[in-house]
Amino acid sequence: MRFILSLLTWWHEETLGTRLYTWRKGVKVGEDAQGNEFYRNKDDSKRWVCYAGEPEASRISADWHGWLHRTFDDNPANSPLAHKDWEKPHVDNMTGTALAYVPAGSIRREKPVERSDYEAWQPE
Amino acid sequence: MSDLKKIVIDGNEVEVDGAMTLIQACEEAGIEIPRFCYHERLSIAGNCRMCLVEVVGGPPKPAASCAMQVKDLRPGPEGQPPVVKTNSPMVKKAREGVMEFLLINHPLDCPICDQGGECDLQDQAMAYGVDFSRYREPKRATEDLDLGPLVSTQMTRCISCTRCVRFTTEVAGIHQMGQTGRGEDAEITSYLNETLDSNLQGNIIDLCPVGALTSKPYAYQARPWELTKTETIDVMDALGSNIRVDTKGREVMRILPRNHDGVNEEWISDKTRFVWDGLRRQRLDKPYVRKNGKLTPVEWPEALSAAAEAMKGKKVAGLIGDLASTEAAFSLKQLIEGQGGTVECRVDGAKLPAGNRSAYVGTATIEDIDSAEMIQLIGTNPRDEAPVLNARIRKAWLRGATVGYVGVPGVDLTYDYVQVGDDRVAVEELSSKTISDATKAKNTLVIVGMGALNEADGEAVLSHAMKLAENTNGKLLVLHTAAARVGAMDVGATTEGGIKAATEGAEVIFNMGADEVEIDAGATVIYMGSHGDRGAHRADIILPSAAYTEESGLFVNTEGRPQLALRAAFPPGQAKENWAVLRALSAELGATQPWDTQAGLRRAMVEAVPHLGAVDVVAENDWQPLALGKLGKASFRPIVADHYLTNPIARASAVMAELSANAKARGSQKVAAE
Repeated sequence: MRFILSLLTWWHEETLGTRLYTWRKGVKVGEDAQGNEFYRNKDDSKRWVCYAGEPEASRISADWHGWLHRTFDDNPANSPLAHKDWEKPHVDNMTGTALAYVPAGSIRREKPVERSDYEAWQPE
Repeated sequence: MSDLKKIVIDGNEVEVDGAMTLIQACEEAGIEIPRFCYHERLSIAGNCRMCLVEVVGGPPKPAASCAMQVKDLRPGPEGQPPVVKTNSPMVKKAREGVMEFLLINHPLDCPICDQGGECDLQDQAMAYGVDFSRYREPKRATEDLDLGPLVSTQMTRCISCTRCVRFTTEVAGIHQMGQTGRGEDAEITSYLNETLDSNLQGNIIDLCPVGALTSKPYAYQARPWELTKTETIDVMDALGSNIRVDTKGREVMRILPRNHDGVNEEWISDKTRFVWDGLRRQRLDKPYVRKNGKLTPVEWPEALSAAAEAMKGKKVAGLIGDLASTEAAFSLKQLIEGQGGTVECRVDGAKLPAGNRSAYVGTATIEDIDSAEMIQLIGTNPRDEAPVLNARIRKAWLRGATVGYVGVPGVDLTYDYVQVGDDRVAVEELSSKTISDATKAKNTLVIVGMGALNEADGEAVLSHAMKLAENTNGKLLVLHTAAARVGAMDVGATTEGGIKAATEGAEVIFNMGADEVEIDAGATVIYMGSHGDRGAHRADIILPSAAYTEESGLFVNTEGRPQLALRAAFPPGQAKENWAVLRALSAELGATQPWDTQAGLRRAMVEAVPHLGAVDVVAENDWQPLALGKLGKASFRPIVADHYLTNPIARASAVMAELSANAKARGSQKVAAE
């Protein structure tokens, strides 16, 4: 089943073509905390990632994103970036999940902010 | 003097008064001429040039129809009536030219302009505008004025029609607005950057044909086409101005005047116009009952049974506040007198004689001010008590009427008056003076305010005022301060001896929106009203009810004109209409009122007091002079301490609070020498 899925779909894991190409040409560069593996080919003209689990682009942290998109040449596994203590850990895109951000006044909140078109009088 | 002239307008022959202007004659013929600067109630400026028409046989150029009278037109060679064309190619071309000039400097910000949708320039540009501009030069830029907390300005939109200048100087009687410069540099400005010092300034928002002057509190709140319009009656003063309440959903978004020649013409005071934010604050939205010294929210059945329990077998006094409708007063009277109690509507202590309508309303109508030649004000400051009525007195004064004044010296009424005195002695002098026949022939009006009537000798002052009206062959107008007063007096909601006799020894006081009354400790107070004000704090049981925009009702204004107010919105939360609360309470008391709808209540009321059935008709009152009473000694005191904070709705309004603070600051500030 998994084989057929990897043959026909790209949204469960990398496709068969990508796996073959990785096996033939891929040079593993590193792995991030989530277990995603990063590859390049010999002359470094291509860089790619094989996800551990769901292929979801926003799972890639800013460090590895920078390397993938050639913002910097050396990969974060070799020369980790300096992180400030106020930086928050990387979170992938939560849109469409239960953890998605909902503004205070939204009716999608469990307890929406109470709203009224008048201000009631309060004794004392 | 009927000086009828024949005139042919667009092929239709009409006969009109020669003194009419062409624009009025066209209106008579059913043709509307586009205009910006012309306004029926203001002087003629003739500077917008939008109302151009073609006068056949006249000068070869189009004529401004607002500034040309019918009698100025020349008849044809054989004496044919003059011919005016309002839709000829020449007229269309001329108006298109004018429109192009007006649009040269007008910004294209209709999408963010509050006037959008009700803008004269927008509407007329649909008919006469062109879809391109030949103007490549920079547009005129002007600085915005600060006219205070009510009127917001965008002076680049101004087309210099000068309606605002004419209104403030002619009707409101203030000097702050004017126009400076000529040609392209002409600008509407305020004198020395002063803010407007008038309680009628809101009217310039309606007058402005474009979006140069818009309402500050209403800014960017709604578009005119999404509002539900309800025509109703105002209760902020006893004038009963005709208003239109615009609502969006449950909320009142703004209040605009309606035209009624007999009452408010087409002006309303700022209090009427901007009080709507008070309808959203401090609302009573659920019943409360005091338990262990604390007001606790309860459900209706509990509150009603608690109220009935408190009232049963006790000495009950009912107080009718200033904003109650006549139906509510009638219903409360029926309920309380059925329980053996008494009701009282003269909660400010006014000594108005019950049953004598010529004394508590008078014989004059508001329209009589227009034709009055002598106006005597006694113990009243109409500018505070009824600003629109004051504008009407000003109009009479401009026309040449003499205004006499007995009251607090040095008040600014926006017109000159003769200060006859400030105390009872002056009133006695006036009433005992022999009046010459020449003066008797003049139309005289005596206006008595509540400031003269709310003290111990109030009835005596009123009797002297009536004597003065009688001596001068004049008419009497009692200027009330409470919108509910005349209606409640009409249904007889009074107690012999006034409020003191009513509340003295009462075990239970049913207070229907009377927040300005001090109630002694001891009595159980049932408060029925719309706003949490002084009355609610003193109450033991609170029954929340509707404010004036939230239920239909009759209001009788100060001249005795019953007017029907309609419901514009619904009461908030669990609050109910007044009649419904009283009807439910009567069932709880075991004395069920014989009506199930408000219409039924109104029918019963009209049966008891027939003249209330004639809506918008001022009933004639038989002259029943009071016996001359003995006057006291003191000077008259003003009845209105703060014009902007006279009732619970106004006290809940943030705009009114700001206006009140501004007025106080203005009063204490020294004006720089010029």
